[in-house]
Amino acid sequence: MSDIGARETTPGDQGKAGLGVTQFTLEGRCREREDLVAELARAPGTRLADFFGDVEEGGLVLRLVYAIESGERAYKMLDWPVVGGTYPSVSDLDPAAFVEECEIYEQFGVRPEGDELLNRLVVPPHAGHEFPRLGAAPPREGREPHAPHYVTGEAFEFPFGPVRAVAQESLYMGLVTSGEEVIDLYLLMWHKHRGLERRLRGMSLGKALFLVERAEGLSAVANSWAFCRAAENVLGVVAPEAVERARAIALELERVYNHAAAVAALCQATGLSVGQAQAEIALEELLRVNLAAFGHRYLFGTVAIGTMGRPLDEEVLSRQLPQAYGELRRVIESLWSTNSFMDRLEACGIVTNEQARRLGLVGPVARAAGCDMDTRRDHAFGAYTGSVVNVAVRERGDVLARMQVMAAEAEESVRLIRELARVGPPGDGRADGAGFAAPGQETAAGRGGSALGWCESPRGESLAWLSLDPAGKVRRARLRPGTFRNWRAFDDAARSRNVFTDIPIIEASFWLTVAGFAR
Amino acid sequence: MTGASLGAGGAAAEDRVAQRLHDARAMFGRSLHIRTVDTGSCAVCESEIRLLLAPHYDLHRLGLFFTPAPRHADMLMVTGPAVRAMDTALQKTYAAMPEPKIVIAVGACPLGGVYPEDELAHGSLDRVLPVDVFVPGCPPSPLALLQGLLVAVGRLSEKVSGESFVGSSPGGLDL
Repeated sequence: MSDIGARETTPGDQGKAGLGVTQFTLEGRCREREDLVAELARAPGTRLADFFGDVEEGGLVLRLVYAIESGERAYKMLDWPVVGGTYPSVSDLDPAAFVEECEIYEQFGVRPEGDELLNRLVVPPHAGHEFPRLGAAPPREGREPHAPHYVTGEAFEFPFGPVRAVAQESLYMGLVTSGEEVIDLYLLMWHKHRGLERRLRGMSLGKALFLVERAEGLSAVANSWAFCRAAENVLGVVAPEAVERARAIALELERVYNHAAAVAALCQATGLSVGQAQAEIALEELLRVNLAAFGHRYLFGTVAIGTMGRPLDEEVLSRQLPQAYGELRRVIESLWSTNSFMDRLEACGIVTNEQARRLGLVGPVARAAGCDMDTRRDHAFGAYTGSVVNVAVRERGDVLARMQVMAAEAEESVRLIRELARVGPPGDGRADGAGFAAPGQETAAGRGGSALGWCESPRGESLAWLSLDPAGKVRRARLRPGTFRNWRAFDDAARSRNVFTDIPIIEASFWLTVAGFAR
Repeated sequence: MTGASLGAGGAAAEDRVAQRLHDARAMFGRSLHIRTVDTGSCAVCESEIRLLLAPHYDLHRLGLFFTPAPRHADMLMVTGPAVRAMDTALQKTYAAMPEPKIVIAVGACPLGGVYPEDELAHGSLDRVLPVDVFVPGCPPSPLALLQGLLVAVGRLSEKVSGESFVGSSPGGLDL
């Protein structure tokens, strides 16, 4: 890539290797950037992982994060200063960028060249110029393909939400149907926008971490670990081995309970009360393991910068986890032989391999569509550098394939936990938890810089890019949970020859959160 | 439906709330239907609320039920920091519920513990709805939710017992 006139710099405090992020600042003309983006879009083993805006002194800079997954295996960042209020469309070259282009338009008021319709993401339709954003509001009201949505002919639109079934997150679904078949579907998620990235600006790292965890509580460990890794790289903090191991154990516990919850939701969606009750017993037992091991049912406060926010009681893992996971395995095994359940899953909500690649999907949704990817293996970090992670991949791309991937991943997570707990003498994590009060707050002063952190959440690759000002406060923090990537395939999955009652099944198999998307 | 916030109404409003709560408790002691609304939670409170129906907790044995229809609901269970984008949906849900009705706020967000009051969120639920019971916690466990529900319908007193940890009060520790 460096032969296209790019100036190579390392981010953050120069020369601190370890995170493997290379940053390119392109000084050349726009045409060259476009060529580079086009080339990267075609390159095998290269994937556009994130795309976001950042206001610097010179104006808006767009940052493209690429994951290189063949050969050198690294994350590379391409900086693209915006000149003249617009930029050549990235989604024309790499369709995975479309949602991010919409986001950049909403947050910074800068749209790609051309007249393509942009979707509404998190700014409500009634919001005006004064609505709080990361940058300037769009100069004119953007046209929207959806909402108000006019449907003619045989079809009509069935509005559903934002208040939905019992204890479901707020989400508006526009279901276009002719009676039973789902012809089209669109989602509105602005009801849950809390402006997290904007709130993080100017915060100390300790405070920021508190909000990062609450961006998406069901991926709290993954998102906060990605954020902490970015912060640690900027600050030059290296977490002790025992801390890295305890974090990995927390991450795997998070994966197991999430997959158990997805199985319970699948049973509920298919009307299988017995299976649901059994899966919920497993889920509750797994949450109690979390509580006993780390002191929080959803593992909040576990990951801190350079240390553990909560000590790990490793004994719990051998005493309680096998029984709790045994419950889950029993349910899943009975489900495999329940025909009424399996019939609903097969050929339902298909995401093809081509869709998964074009849309840049991650996690179980992508793996169930034949994409062999997992950041724990492809960009090994922390305790994963020393262990083998077996990645489950299926080809069919339907709900059944997603459930098979989740079942295999839960099994693998429990194996990893056993392996990680065996490595060191028990109690190591606790001994290292001496500096409980996030040391970032003190050490951050005087260290500016930026870095990328990543992690594999139960929903897929979670990224966090952090830039600190010289005072050690957050200048810009970009959070990109796996959820943010995967919702974009939901309408495709729902349209693929499905009927109304398949929608909750597909939603359960994706197991995403609205909170993580709308942030 | 007044929808008036508690802070502005003063003593008269407080009396109204007390009277309403008393009516509701007398009526709902044995059977209560709950509608949930999410106003910007992180999805974890929802997870805990769903577990109320799981075999470990089994809400139904207490005569408490969830309902998908606000018109059948006696209690509104709200999560999240009352994001302003949810104002219309929240007020419509509340208005659709028949009187008397109870509002229960779940978690640290509607208590004001996570987000401040600003252009995006009200920051705490009692700025937009008359809250009868707050259940603290981030997230409150299903047991804490059960406690909150039973307090709301008057089947459990708010404090199980009160005792001083320091000093020579009965049951207190002499330090």
